Amino acid sequence: MVENESRCNVFLSGKYIGYVEDGAKFAEEIRRNRRLGAVSGEINVAYNKKLNEVMINADRGRVRRPYIVVEEGVSKFTDDLKERLARREIDFNYLLRRGVVEYLDAEEEENIVAALRPEDITRETTHLEIDPAALFGATFNVSVYPEHNSVGRHAISANFIKQSQGLYATNFNSRYDARAFLLYYPQTPIVDSVAYRKLRLGQHASGQNFVVAVSTYYGYNMKDALVINKAAVDRGLGRSVFYRVYTDEERRYPGGQQDRFRIPAPTTEGYLGEHAYSKLSDDGVIEAETPVIENDVLIGKTSPPRFLEEQTSFGVVEERNRDSSTTLRAGEEGVVDSVMLTETTGATKLVKARVRSIKVPEVGDKFASRHGQKGVVALIVNQEDMPFTKDGIVPDLLLNPHSLPGRMTFGHMIETIAGKAGALSGQHFDGTAFSDTGKNRVDAYGSILEHYGFDKFGDEAMYDGRTGRQFNANIFTGVVYFNRLWHMVSLKLQVRSRGPVQILTHQPTEGKPRRGGLKFGEMERDALVGHGASLLLKDRMLEQSDKADIWVCKNCGDIGYLDHLKNVPVCMSCGGNNLERVEISYAFKLLLDEIKSLHILPKIRLKSE
Amino acid sequence: MPTKNDRGEKLNVSPGEAVGVVAAQSIGEPGTQMILRSFHAAGISSIITTKGLPRIIEIVDARKKPKFPMMRITLEKGYAKDYEKVRKVWRKLEEVTVSKLIKERGGFSEDLGARIMVLNLDKERLHTYEITPSQVASRLKKVSGIEIGMDGMEIRIKVNGTKDMKLTRQTFVQIRKAVVSGVPNIEKALVQEGQGGEFYITTAGSNMAAVMDIEGVDKWHIYSNDIFEVARVYGVEAARNLIAHELFETMSEEGFTVSFRHPALVADAMTHTGQIRSIGRHGVAGEKESVFARAAYEETVKHFTNAGVFGEVDRLNGVAENILIGKQISVGTGMVRLAVRKDELKKIKAEE
Repeated sequence: MVENESRCNVFLSGKYIGYVEDGAKFAEEIRRNRRLGAVSGEINVAYNKKLNEVMINADRGRVRRPYIVVEEGVSKFTDDLKERLARREIDFNYLLRRGVVEYLDAEEEENIVAALRPEDITRETTHLEIDPAALFGATFNVSVYPEHNSVGRHAISANFIKQSQGLYATNFNSRYDARAFLLYYPQTPIVDSVAYRKLRLGQHASGQNFVVAVSTYYGYNMKDALVINKAAVDRGLGRSVFYRVYTDEERRYPGGQQDRFRIPAPTTEGYLGEHAYSKLSDDGVIEAETPVIENDVLIGKTSPPRFLEEQTSFGVVEERNRDSSTTLRAGEEGVVDSVMLTETTGATKLVKARVRSIKVPEVGDKFASRHGQKGVVALIVNQEDMPFTKDGIVPDLLLNPHSLPGRMTFGHMIETIAGKAGALSGQHFDGTAFSDTGKNRVDAYGSILEHYGFDKFGDEAMYDGRTGRQFNANIFTGVVYFNRLWHMVSLKLQVRSRGPVQILTHQPTEGKPRRGGLKFGEMERDALVGHGASLLLKDRMLEQSDKADIWVCKNCGDIGYLDHLKNVPVCMSCGGNNLERVEISYAFKLLLDEIKSLHILPKIRLKSE
Repeated sequence: MPTKNDRGEKLNVSPGEAVGVVAAQSIGEPGTQMILRSFHAAGISSIITTKGLPRIIEIVDARKKPKFPMMRITLEKGYAKDYEKVRKVWRKLEEVTVSKLIKERGGFSEDLGARIMVLNLDKERLHTYEITPSQVASRLKKVSGIEIGMDGMEIRIKVNGTKDMKLTRQTFVQIRKAVVSGVPNIEKALVQEGQGGEFYITTAGSNMAAVMDIEGVDKWHIYSNDIFEVARVYGVEAARNLIAHELFETMSEEGFTVSFRHPALVADAMTHTGQIRSIGRHGVAGEKESVFARAAYEETVKHFTNAGVFGEVDRLNGVAENILIGKQISVGTGMVRLAVRKDELKKIKAEE
């Protein structure tokens, strides 16, 4: 490398290749040749003035975006080209080849002066954005009025859109996705954007146009709670189907044994009882359109025993198969939608059973607009109790007014007006970023609203459904596109009073699939100690957990057992019968056992109380 | 209306109150809200100290030396309001080494071969500390094996004691680090004006024992944030007060109000043995009586193996071990026991 200040080092894809006298000129020369087509358009060159270095990048993995080239203050994308492009005589690649449009990477972008709009071009300008909306990228441009929302809301909104239920695939009927949600009546939004149309998302819509009134409702929509209209729900608002696929295969084991799809015989180990298998057909697999509830067997299967040759008292080796059936998940119910039988690549039988259940919106389900405004249904109100307008319009959803100012989602409010104007006039509106100013938009929608006899800002006089009285204030009402998100109570709700315990520790299990309890952890324990609530603490840590009765030898301090036949406690260490029943946690007994396994004999000394 | 005495009694905690847990939670909860940052506002006229959560961790861990030791020196009546006298005390405080008195650039030159070092004293620096070149020279005379020659602001030093280059170099370093005036370990001292026009001095670095002997220093009112030094000079009880006070003040500075009794309890737990112990496994928690309580906290295997080797007995008196085995803990409602007077019981039985 040359350590001469006047000379400019040149790097190709990060490797030093030589030096030039004038780096800026050199970089410009490469660019000129690139636009002429003499150098590949995939090459980017950047001149770093501070370090006096030229970086030429041709490696993979650079993120690049297109710009229109501007030379001498004139955009190379001339009106003539524009017309020809509109007539489809030329295409984007033509512009690329001709050096009208070029892709720049992050490093080369440091060298350019880009104008956002053609009218912003000055003498210094080197590039022009193809469209001002391009600065949001493909994902955000699906949203409407993004330029009126704060960035944080964009990120949140993008996450919500990913979670929304809709028509995710048109061949859903022949697919066996592990989990899938389908919205009953997906609608195209009244307000959409260029990117939305180009991606044809309207054909895979994932939401519905809700009539939204920005109003409180007796405190039922505090914080991010939502109040929805029962009549709207009954008409199919937000209704969806939930599919879950249960899969199982006949596995082969070393030694020629294999699983079998069948209704297990009552002698099978872990037999779930006759009733559980009652819905299976003769081949051990459930039939389509069978209603099923939790713990029903969908695929009956037996597996060979885990340990071979368990000898019975008669000395005969008894083959006792294990039950390894697939049951419907705890807390779920539905109808078997379809069953598929096929083979794996390993030539073993494979069964997939798809269970469908209808998810009607209920208290606890989550909805969100395209502006990061989410909410959980807190109350479903009868239509007659909802507020209504003079025309008898009853909103589908009541949004709390406090959710708007703090989050600064002006886009949401503009969409409310636009949606309302669109619903009245029967047209779609374009909400592409920077396609118009906010004022122009609101004015345009306002004049449509006024034409139909509404307030131009979307406010309406409303009447309390309960009393019939008009509200003192007018209520901001309109149509907003809402998505139903796949967080639903019916898939999350879980309760336990008694239930399964772990084999090792005798403590309650953890997690929803195991009907587990909620952890009473260290900090919770400390809180009870801090309150001096020692009996409550004992209840949590012992009685409701792993209480165990053990017999402790008064002679030697070891743990014995109760001989149920003679009803006499026995100490195995000293053979005595002088034992006392002691209540301890099973975890402690386990600890003592583990210490014993290390050849240390812990002894318990008893003291009478 | 409650009388004065009633109010005092109201402040008593009830028997069985879990004061330790409450103290831990009362300090721990605001601790979670404190931001773990240890940067300081860079200012000329201030002494840097550790603040916030890092300082609390420093105290609770019982570090031997705080990251930024600091002292606050109050002056005696006759001195406190007289700036000139305060300046005199101040001059005696700050540790001035030879390297602080030489020029910033080209302050010294060394020739290890000829074993000659030339110091170039800075006039302005000498002036601020009111030190004459001859004072520097006379200080250097205490260094053994050297010959000193003076020429105005220049001091020439020749090492005679040894011909070894390594030792010569060590001597040179020793000379540059030699303290000309002031108290050792006090890197910086600042005179500050308090309310009522009384001056006090804050220092970076702490050396209470030496400061006490300086004339004009009010030896009853010296504050240092070095807990171990306070323990050495004034004893554990002073250290206990310091721990509690420092904990309380650090939290107050961050805007968290805590009852003083919580930090005080922590301080008591750390010092009641007469030694300053840290809270963690090397201190309070690691010296618990119960095997189970220690094993439940940290280093489980270590405690169990030792218990096995030495045949330890756990008397199940504490909280943690009783939760472990599933016994009622003797805290709060759980410490109440029913006592029966057997003789009375016999009487009742006899009557029946």
